[in-house]
Amino acid sequence: MAVQKSRKHRRKEQTEYFFDYSLLFIVLFLLGFGLIMIYSASSYEALQEFGDEAHYLKRQLVANILGLATMMVVANIPYHFWERFATLGYVVSMVLIFMVLTPMGIESHGARRWIGIPGTSFNLQPAEVAKLCMILFLASMVCKMGKSVGTMKGFLFMLAIPMPVVIAIKVVTENLSSALIILGIALFMVFVASPDYKKFILMGLAGAAAVALLIFVLVNAESVEGFRSERILAWLDPESASQDKGFQTLQALYAIGSGGVLGKGLGQSMQKLEFLPEAQNDMIFSIICEELGLFGAIAIILMFTMLLWRMMIIANNAPDLFGAMLVVGVMGHIAIQVILNIAVVTNTVPNTGISLPFISYGGSSVIFLLIEIGLVLNVARRIELKK
Amino acid sequence: MLTNHNRIAHRKKIMIVFFGCVAVMLILLGRLLYLMVWRADHYAELATNLHERERSIKAARGRILDCNGTVLADNKTVCTISVIHNQIEEPEEVVRILCEELDLSEDYVKKRVEKYSSMERIKSNVDKEIGDRIREYDLAGVKVDEDYKRYYPYGELGSKVLGFTGGDNQGIIGLEVIYEEYLKGEAGTILTVTDAKGIEVEEAGERRIEPVAGNDLYISMDRNIQAYATQLATQAMAAKQADSVSISVMNPQNGEILAMVNVPEFDLNNPYELPEGTGEGISREEQQNLLNGIWRNGCINDTYEPGSTFKIITAAAGLEEGVVTTESTFSCPGFIVVDDRKIRCHKTAGHGAQNFVQATENSCNPVFVTVGLRLGVDNYYKYFEQFGLKRKTGIDLPGEAGTIMHRKEDMGNVQLATVSFGQSFQITPIQLLTTASSIINGGMRITPHFGVKAVGENGQVTKTFQYPVTEGIVSEKTSETMRGILEKVVSEGSGKNGAVEGFCIGGKTATSQTLPRGSGRYIASFVGFAPADDPQVIAIAIVNNPKGTYYGSQVAAPIVRQLFENILPYLGIMRYNQ
Repeated sequence: MAVQKSRKHRRKEQTEYFFDYSLLFIVLFLLGFGLIMIYSASSYEALQEFGDEAHYLKRQLVANILGLATMMVVANIPYHFWERFATLGYVVSMVLIFMVLTPMGIESHGARRWIGIPGTSFNLQPAEVAKLCMILFLASMVCKMGKSVGTMKGFLFMLAIPMPVVIAIKVVTENLSSALIILGIALFMVFVASPDYKKFILMGLAGAAAVALLIFVLVNAESVEGFRSERILAWLDPESASQDKGFQTLQALYAIGSGGVLGKGLGQSMQKLEFLPEAQNDMIFSIICEELGLFGAIAIILMFTMLLWRMMIIANNAPDLFGAMLVVGVMGHIAIQVILNIAVVTNTVPNTGISLPFISYGGSSVIFLLIEIGLVLNVARRIELKK
Repeated sequence: MLTNHNRIAHRKKIMIVFFGCVAVMLILLGRLLYLMVWRADHYAELATNLHERERSIKAARGRILDCNGTVLADNKTVCTISVIHNQIEEPEEVVRILCEELDLSEDYVKKRVEKYSSMERIKSNVDKEIGDRIREYDLAGVKVDEDYKRYYPYGELGSKVLGFTGGDNQGIIGLEVIYEEYLKGEAGTILTVTDAKGIEVEEAGERRIEPVAGNDLYISMDRNIQAYATQLATQAMAAKQADSVSISVMNPQNGEILAMVNVPEFDLNNPYELPEGTGEGISREEQQNLLNGIWRNGCINDTYEPGSTFKIITAAAGLEEGVVTTESTFSCPGFIVVDDRKIRCHKTAGHGAQNFVQATENSCNPVFVTVGLRLGVDNYYKYFEQFGLKRKTGIDLPGEAGTIMHRKEDMGNVQLATVSFGQSFQITPIQLLTTASSIINGGMRITPHFGVKAVGENGQVTKTFQYPVTEGIVSEKTSETMRGILEKVVSEGSGKNGAVEGFCIGGKTATSQTLPRGSGRYIASFVGFAPADDPQVIAIAIVNNPKGTYYGSQVAAPIVRQLFENILPYLGIMRYNQ
């Protein structure tokens, strides 16, 4: 009794629970920096297209504010509250994906990936919803399965869960990158949940071999047809494919290369003058490189590393498995997107549309990322500093 | 729910995942380092090429000046009008104004205005006043660039020699072509920074690479002599209703050409204008052929049978080989039989007994046939080649025609006989003038030329042109004898009409029938030089198809006489007869 009393007493002092301000400030810094870069990268095109230099900036600012408010709300709701909605979330995300095909769906950049929100000029990307719901659903599944996650059956089951969503996103919205990200998040979480290594090493080797074989076949095949293979050929030699598939990649490389060590200075990018498509979006990292140079790029990569490090600390100290798995899912989501985005703009991997978390223009993406951060912050709050 | 064992396992895995991510990020950082440090210059250069649009600035073409520094070819400022598709705001207005001001068809302008390109040229060589007027409209997307256009102050003077330039200021014919590399200079560039649609980025400014002006070309032509010779040729053409008249004046000591006239000349400021009455209802190809004919320099591009003026060559070969001397005597019955052919003398009654000097004065065909036959095919051919007649003269004008001569193995006595008095083969007038010069100047085969030096912007000579000279074509003694004989031709023989009061002139006339024989078309010509004992100037006058009297002595010799009467005092040649 006495022990319990003193615990209650300590709880009232409000120091034994943890609020991760470091994480919050890193996120706020990235958001602020993102707004500056969106303005810099988009103002020229925005003036030409909409007659308003701040067109993209304003829209992103609204999304950021909305996202931060939601984040604060989520951060204050105990995360176990969401566990009961895991299955519902899974269903909702599937429904939203198929809603793209209804008249509410909006086509842009040659793909139908958005749902118009009635009464506003904002759109919702179901893939972003699906990422969040998948994290939630998988975290709850890991908890439900308990030790059986470590068995082969459990492992296969865990991999089978995200497949319907992955396939739907790939087939219905023709969005390969989001499908790959969801698959990546699932792998990430399964890897952490399962105590085994052997399966993952074998899977990694098999995957690497498959990729190598695919590239070998594509390079040696005389007449390869189709969108994807052209992308891969453009990836291998962007300068000779500069007219079509390699165009965006080459323009990104021009931007990165011409930035040099110190960059041209904020606002001085040439490539943003409509040379580089999607300069404020998927390709924003190359504008950062052009304007702020290698130092700017290193600073951004360091910020993301710190963000991941904070999440690792939170996951390691999470009060229970569900909290840890939620944080691992968010960590995986952010890590995969950052890595793939930088890999795409530097032409390290073939070109596919992936945005840079918190920095790229895109409302759905930033709102759902901030909700995820809210979850992480709430998990952090539940960490008991003293036992 | 969370056992300690599991917790440790999860922590380990989360650490692995985190450090795995850090490792991948380090790899990407390495990739960035490579792109932004090692490849930075490569991509920066490619990017700059992409961002900058080039506009070239024409270089001022070098002028052409005569030996006294008179400008024969100059530049005047003209404008080039272009449109930039993306910057045009009112296409209809632009089309309307450009059509009106530039006198172009609406279709033509419209097509260019609507064409999606970074820059489309509408018209070049527009007068400066029109260009200024278009600039004053201040139309968005219309560019007026100033550049230079060739301008020839004397219009027709020396047209076939000087030549003219095309739309890009490049030489088309004449000296403008040959000295292109000195005259043209180096074009400059304006580099403007633009966005992806080609719209100029204002704050980025522009870079200029300044053009380098071409060198001035100084030529040996003397505008005064050229003008006077043109006047004489024009008069002669009118008086004799001839097809064309050409006069060339050269310094036989070094090959510098003082004048080269081919009337009818054409207007260098309007070279594409066809004479009235022609050019209507004929195809473009025919028009071009007509123009090529008008631009043709007969002294260089066309060959003819030289006729009796060629006896200078036969005489020099005979004297050099020793088969004839000035004292050799001949008898002319009015014809000579070679193999089975009877070759007539122009004086059918015959010249009777005469020595070699008299025979030259009389231009007696049988005597020169005899000299030719004495030399034989081998020797004659040897001298023909030694004198440089088989080669081109190497004059600094384009399109020099080669000699049309029998092959040595095809030459029999009949061919040899006809060649000896200048028939059955063809050479250019410049070839005859050059060979005659070499025979009378002491045996130096000189290269006829116009170009003297190229002078750079600050007046420094960038190049003094050198021309090959072959010495010992004939001996000094033969040369001296030839000068004596040819002086006699003018003072006492068939060249009397070439004589100038108070001066000592040497020369030879010719009257050659053109092919086909019996057509009644003749070429009258005369080669004269002065002073006869130390030639400083040599001239050839050729009258093509004169009506009425067609003898060289009657038609061509007086032209050279009048020329010499005026230019010898002008050139300061004051050597009087004893």
